[in-house]
Amino acid sequence: MRARDLNKVELVKQKAMELLVKIGFEGFTMNKLAKECKISVATLYIYYKDKDDLILQVAMEEAERMSNVMLEDFDPEASFEVGLKQQWKNRAKCMLENPITAQFLEQLRTSTYQEDVYGTIVNNFKLTLGKFMTNAINRGEINPMQLEVYWSVAFAPLYNLVRFHFEGRSIGGKPFILTDEALWGTFELVLKALKK
Amino acid sequence: MEPDFKHILLFKTNIQTAEDKTLIAKVMEKNKIEQWTIDQQDVDCVLRIVSTVLKLDEVIHLVSKNGYQCEELT
Repeated sequence: MRARDLNKVELVKQKAMELLVKIGFEGFTMNKLAKECKISVATLYIYYKDKDDLILQVAMEEAERMSNVMLEDFDPEASFEVGLKQQWKNRAKCMLENPITAQFLEQLRTSTYQEDVYGTIVNNFKLTLGKFMTNAINRGEINPMQLEVYWSVAFAPLYNLVRFHFEGRSIGGKPFILTDEALWGTFELVLKALKK
Repeated sequence: MEPDFKHILLFKTNIQTAEDKTLIAKVMEKNKIEQWTIDQQDVDCVLRIVSTVLKLDEVIHLVSKNGYQCEELT
């Protein structure tokens, strides 16, 4: 009984994200979601109070799940190169293995739900990563810089490659698939840019 | 986090506007119903009540008496 309920919750979560990515927050309704899941609207309302409650709960659970994956095997005390490489590995895995979740969370970033979701969950994540950067600065591996500057150099290239990959094309419509070679080649460039 | 599912009562209503909601809020307060929400973004304006004592019919009667449509959401 319990197992079946959990499966149903998972199905609802997955379908909700798919639908939200497809039609956006405005067009999304409980009725459409119930149809997609082939369950009654009443079942949805047993789990969630309303549309906002559903979106927030799904978003928070997924954001937490993703930030846990992103911190897997990551030691903020590790050397800069080792730590950053693990971060790239985790983030790439996160996004490439959970494309729907990745797109959903990206969509959330520009929505009114953003504050509620990221306010609480991302805190621990930010602390760990901030600590990692500060350690690298204190050890003299990188120059002191704002966290935002660091993030933009350290991760934005990766996010952009993944975006090209999802879209299947890069600048000017050129077909693009992200290979390991391109990924780690870019990583080396980023490392060169940041390391003293 | 999740309430006991047996104690969740769901209704399709026409409690559509903010004024409607204010009125229903008073009715709920008067009847000591504390855990209720209404999804006014939904076409069915779903009323959701968590209660261990209330029965479906009682809520339907209560809401109808105050001039709104109310039927069980299935």
